Amino acid sequence: MIIIGEKINGTRKKVSAAIQERDSDFIQALAKSQAEAGSHFLDVNAGTSPEREADDMAWLVDTIQAVTELPLCLDSANPKALKAGLERVDKTPVINSVSGEKPRIEGVLPLALEYKTGLILLALDDETGIAGTAAGRMAVVHRLVNMAREGGLKEDQLFVDPLVTAISTGDKNALITYDSIRAVREAYPQAHITCGLSNISFGMPLRSLINQTFMCMCIYLGLDSAIIDPNNRDLTGVMLAAEMLMGRDKFCQNFSRAYRAGRIGPKKNS
Amino acid sequence: MTELNDLFTAVADMQEDTAMELTRKYLDKGVPAVEVFECYQSALEEIGRRFEQQIYFIPELIMSGEMMKASAEILKPYLADQAKDDAEGQKKLGRILIATVEGDIHDIGKNIVSMLMDLNGLEVKDIGVDVPADKIIAEARAFGADVIGLSGLLTLAFDPMKAVVEKLAEQGLRDQIKVLIGGGQMDERVCEYVGADAFVTDAVHGVNYVKGWLGESVQS
Repeated sequence: MIIIGEKINGTRKKVSAAIQERDSDFIQALAKSQAEAGSHFLDVNAGTSPEREADDMAWLVDTIQAVTELPLCLDSANPKALKAGLERVDKTPVINSVSGEKPRIEGVLPLALEYKTGLILLALDDETGIAGTAAGRMAVVHRLVNMAREGGLKEDQLFVDPLVTAISTGDKNALITYDSIRAVREAYPQAHITCGLSNISFGMPLRSLINQTFMCMCIYLGLDSAIIDPNNRDLTGVMLAAEMLMGRDKFCQNFSRAYRAGRIGPKKNS
Repeated sequence: MTELNDLFTAVADMQEDTAMELTRKYLDKGVPAVEVFECYQSALEEIGRRFEQQIYFIPELIMSGEMMKASAEILKPYLADQAKDDAEGQKKLGRILIATVEGDIHDIGKNIVSMLMDLNGLEVKDIGVDVPADKIIAEARAFGADVIGLSGLLTLAFDPMKAVVEKLAEQGLRDQIKVLIGGGQMDERVCEYVGADAFVTDAVHGVNYVKGWLGESVQS
């Protein structure tokens, strides 16, 4: 599983305050703890107003790279902010994200092609929004994958997000995501599939129980990346167990190593 | 009303089949349709309270909407030859225009709000997602809206919301129309920035605000 650590996100109150006050200790602590927990990318979302987002993004990238070598996932719809990040990154990042919406195709996609970055593709557009069927979502995915490949990106640089809508608002909503994951896996075997999993439990009690169960089912169908809080040991434990049970963990070493390092399972009294 | 206790309980406890059965039974027995309708309204308020107490969650809100729709089908013919006007009177609490602002296409929250406003006796006009400020105001004017509900999930939605409020003021409509903003990112700071009258992060609170505003103006 490719884990994209989600915590450096300016739409969270504490992170937003740290960005405003240029509190590098706070941001660096978040970066380090997510790196230690096994992230492969760190999501960076300044979440601030358009006029200051580029400055904030530049500061975040510099601040994070001072303490970790992990590649970043630049999270913005604002081309100026993305550009500010792209000019500073040490390693090839992933851009989060392009969709079938016109401003993103015109503003975000060209940057991904120019800098040859990884790219998250969201299965929605401005005509239908989020389609209520897997076929509708796949129509957008096909269009986006074609544009990205024609622009020179390789299939394995693409992270398709088939999208997750809340189970509380429609009891078949998880099924749409399953069908989409299956269809993406079949059409683009090299592409990665990622999701913001926690949308599934919006409006429900016991959200983490729902999130974990849902993640398992998605992994079974081909999900191989997730945008999550890597410090959530319950979620990480379920993820590693599911990967192992899918035959993707040689001699169960990822699972065992995480156990020995104390990253999963009940906390030991030290 | 007291004799409808079992209907109230069935609706509030999400026992759809029992509720429909009881609805038919009471109408057959000659209980005025308006009384049955009022029973549903108070059960709906109870459901809202349970949502606020986190006993119920979004599925219950949506299911209560389905029950209201199903009961309306049963009630309709009775209302036609009984006190239809009375029931219609219930519907005149006020008018709310609802939209997701320009640049944002999220609609799940907005749709739940539209449904609940409608169930709570408001006349609702939902004009969809990604709607420019000028169109929102033109539609609100034509509809005679008392309240404009602006939805948006992204931080990108703040500026378009602010634009709606500013344009309302420019056109001299600001003191006639209340503005409610809703979405996961809303808080006091955003509300102040946008210049809205209130912000909410869930549908039930939204309904409470609007009923409070319109209740005042209807009585005065």
